Amino acid sequence: MYRFLRLSVLLVGLIAAVGSVAVHAAQPLTTADDLGPVVDQPIEFPHDRHAGDAAKGGMQINCMYCHTYARRSNVAGIPPLQKCIGCHRSIESVRETPRIKKLFEYWEAKKPVPWKKVHDLPDFVRFNHERHIQRFVFAQEKPVQEACGYCHGDVKTMTVARRQKPLSMGWCVSCHQKDHPVSATSTKTTHGPNDCWQCHK
Amino acid sequence: MIENSFNRRDFLKVLGWGGATVALSGCGNTSVEDGREYVTSYVETADYIIPSIGTYFNSTCAQCDAGCGIMGRVREGRVLKLEGNPDSPINSGKMCGLGQAGVQAHYNPDRVREPLLRNGDKGEAITWEKALQLVSEKVASANPGSVAFLTGGVSGHVKVLLKNYLDAIGSDQHYVYEAVAPSVVRAANKKAYGVEMPRLRLDRAKVVVSFGADFLGTWVSPVHFSRQYAKFRKGVNGERGVLVQVESKMTITGANADRWLAIRPGTEGILALGLVNALSAAGLTVPAEVAAAVKDYTLDRVSNDTGVSVEHIGKLTALLKDRSPSLVIAGGAAEGYAHGSQNAAAVALLNQVLGNVGKTVEAPASMPFPQMAPITGNRSSLQALNDSIAQDGVKVLFNCGANPIYSAPASMNMKESLKKVPFKVAFAHYMDETAMEADLVLPLNSSMEGWGTVVPEYFAEGAQLNIQQPLMEKLHPGTLGMGDVLLALLKQRRPAEYSGYEDYYAYLKNAMVAIKGALGGENEDDDVFWDSVLSQGVVKLTSSSNALVSSASAAGLQLPPPAVEDGTYPLRLIPAVTPNMRDGRHANEPWLQESPDPLTTIVWDSWVEMHPKTAAKLGVVEGDIVEVASKNGAIKGQVYVYSGIHPDVISVPLGYGHEAMGRYSKGVGANAFKILDPVFDQQTGELAMYETRVKVTKAGKRVIVVKDEGPAGGNQSGRRIALRMASGKVNLAEEV
Ligand code: SF4
Repeated sequence: MYRFLRLSVLLVGLIAAVGSVAVHAAQPLTTADDLGPVVDQPIEFPHDRHAGDAAKGGMQINCMYCHTYARRSNVAGIPPLQKCIGCHRSIESVRETPRIKKLFEYWEAKKPVPWKKVHDLPDFVRFNHERHIQRFVFAQEKPVQEACGYCHGDVKTMTVARRQKPLSMGWCVSCHQKDHPVSATSTKTTHGPNDCWQCHK
Repeated sequence: MIENSFNRRDFLKVLGWGGATVALSGCGNTSVEDGREYVTSYVETADYIIPSIGTYFNSTCAQCDAGCGIMGRVREGRVLKLEGNPDSPINSGKMCGLGQAGVQAHYNPDRVREPLLRNGDKGEAITWEKALQLVSEKVASANPGSVAFLTGGVSGHVKVLLKNYLDAIGSDQHYVYEAVAPSVVRAANKKAYGVEMPRLRLDRAKVVVSFGADFLGTWVSPVHFSRQYAKFRKGVNGERGVLVQVESKMTITGANADRWLAIRPGTEGILALGLVNALSAAGLTVPAEVAAAVKDYTLDRVSNDTGVSVEHIGKLTALLKDRSPSLVIAGGAAEGYAHGSQNAAAVALLNQVLGNVGKTVEAPASMPFPQMAPITGNRSSLQALNDSIAQDGVKVLFNCGANPIYSAPASMNMKESLKKVPFKVAFAHYMDETAMEADLVLPLNSSMEGWGTVVPEYFAEGAQLNIQQPLMEKLHPGTLGMGDVLLALLKQRRPAEYSGYEDYYAYLKNAMVAIKGALGGENEDDDVFWDSVLSQGVVKLTSSSNALVSSASAAGLQLPPPAVEDGTYPLRLIPAVTPNMRDGRHANEPWLQESPDPLTTIVWDSWVEMHPKTAAKLGVVEGDIVEVASKNGAIKGQVYVYSGIHPDVISVPLGYGHEAMGRYSKGVGANAFKILDPVFDQQTGELAMYETRVKVTKAGKRVIVVKDEGPAGGNQSGRRIALRMASGKVNLAEEV
């Protein structure tokens, strides 16, 4: 009898605990913005200046000019320092500004800039940039900034990037459930894969 | 009531569940390291380097002397996994498990990281400048002839530099030691065929009879032979090759054979001659001199001596007669006796009589640059070193790639012997038994950090030169390559010749470019040639080969009758060379300890293997701890009962039982090298590895053998991993 009572107490506890999972784990199935922390970077990189609209003083550089690995690899990658220098070597007008001076200090010391991660997923999630860019940018011919923006927000208006979306599983799935055309010209539609192993390998 | 029985432990369990769920949902399962972790980019990089995608660089496996070509997968500047290089004729894109563990040699936490100078019992870290300074002082103050090098097998440009350094100081003492090497077979081959190791064409043979050559596991060039074996099994015109393995203890090759014949230890030669006689009786043309020499090896006598039944000898004879060409190979089990040379010669004679020479026994390609050709190690050169030390002939000893204190039999007393050398320098990867005794320890790069060239000991096709190149940056700034050290030492001696080379890389590139004509790059620009060499990883050389001696002769063949049993030490010890451990130099790579031995499936320990009849006679069962005692020492081990072994022998694997080296090898298992009897092959002076007589006694305890075999993954020795349990027995309250 005691044993039975004890068990029921345990079970009640368990149910309560499971209930708390349900409450806590319910992820918003929306694309509502969910800001990440403000991250201090060694150089306050102005995305707006590089990628922003010309009307607002931006250069309208394609995201993939610097994040060149996004279309070819799991990770978008931070551009090698050599890429920054490649342009800035011949942009005399800003050569003496504090940020660019700092950039060249790293270059001359042959040290990488210690950027902090802004977007990170747990190790049990395998997100693949290449698949998304190939689908949206190359197959569906969506503008690059729109495609990147699905997950990264409107980066061209930011200086240092800040996480804009929850990047939680529920949030990923909310998009994967939507139908979209397979390519720019096709009327056939499909949706993102919803198998566990696609991301949890 | 509830309060009484609902104890604190149960409460904590419940809390545990709740706590865990809060913790899980609390982390929001996303963005775990936002703003905390660094993401480091390259400063400069090549276009083909893409983060998260591997790039492959060709190099050479350094785990054994077979010299397989490898491709290392490199990602974000770190080598992750090795594959075989498909362009290397030796391994055609394949590798063995020992080779795979090469990354663990590289990332090993027990590597020596800086030069250490002995101060009493301790090693004090010093700089390389100081270390090299010290070396040159010691060498300068010693009599030039008394500087000696002890190495494992060496080849390529390091061998050239080593020779030049010895020349520069005026010494000729270079000893090449390998604890496990087919030295006796090499010598016998040299006599019979005119070459030490002919090219064996398993792929052309219709029958292979191997006298204890474990060519699929550990012998000479196992990956290459495995590739050939696959072709042999497919057969010519659909006629599948038949493999017969004759040995006293089953090897992995024996386990693959169509017929495994357990032979009384040491009688391999008798069986070979018996087969010659039987073949001659069956109508094979045999030279009269040979026929006369073997006429006493009658079926009955041979069967009686060897323990192989008349029926099996008959079948084997018929097989060999019907199917030609065949191939007969002598391996470790034939050569490991006092009459090992005779055994090997008898096997060679069988090949000659069968007409295999020129068909499946071919002349090997010769190396066009003999100065780079490999020096193969053996055990008698260690004896020579020992003798030289005894006569006070060694004042400075450099040791590289040899660990004699571990692998020489106790009767040689290497530890005491080395104490007589006033200054000992060890080039070391680990603080192994021999490095522990050194006065100066110089840490080496791993094979994935350094430059080099390697000439394999056994050419699969033509001669070839393998490239070893760094697959990543050095892990520890304080290590150097052997080539760099030799170059630095040579700069002190012959500055005019060597000071132009900044480092070994510069020397190597220069040396390779200088002979580019012979390496197939005569019309290429130097840099183009060098880049193509590095990207291929293997340079194929044009080479010639000499004809083999094929005339059969039985002159000088003297086989002793089977050995009589020793009353006090009734059993024979076979020190087994296993595919994982080989001679034990890689025992500190945990994959090799953890991957089950292919025959016994035992992990992380050595064992004493015996036939069920022997076990019954001794009154032991699996897991009993027994003492294996020879005249020269005793070791303890767990019994493993297995029918793939002759009842007259027991077997203990080599490679275990290190007293130093590192956390994964020290104290794991027992060292079988130590109890070997000092019996030598009469012709070559090599240690007869299979001649040790032992007695086995129960030493008390019984343990659970940790192995993979058996239901539910064997027994896991109380480690409680995935135990089998009836569902009704599961106590949920304990499963938290
Ligand atoms: S056989 Fe030797 S060289 Fe070839 S992969 Fe195995 S350990 Fe490396």
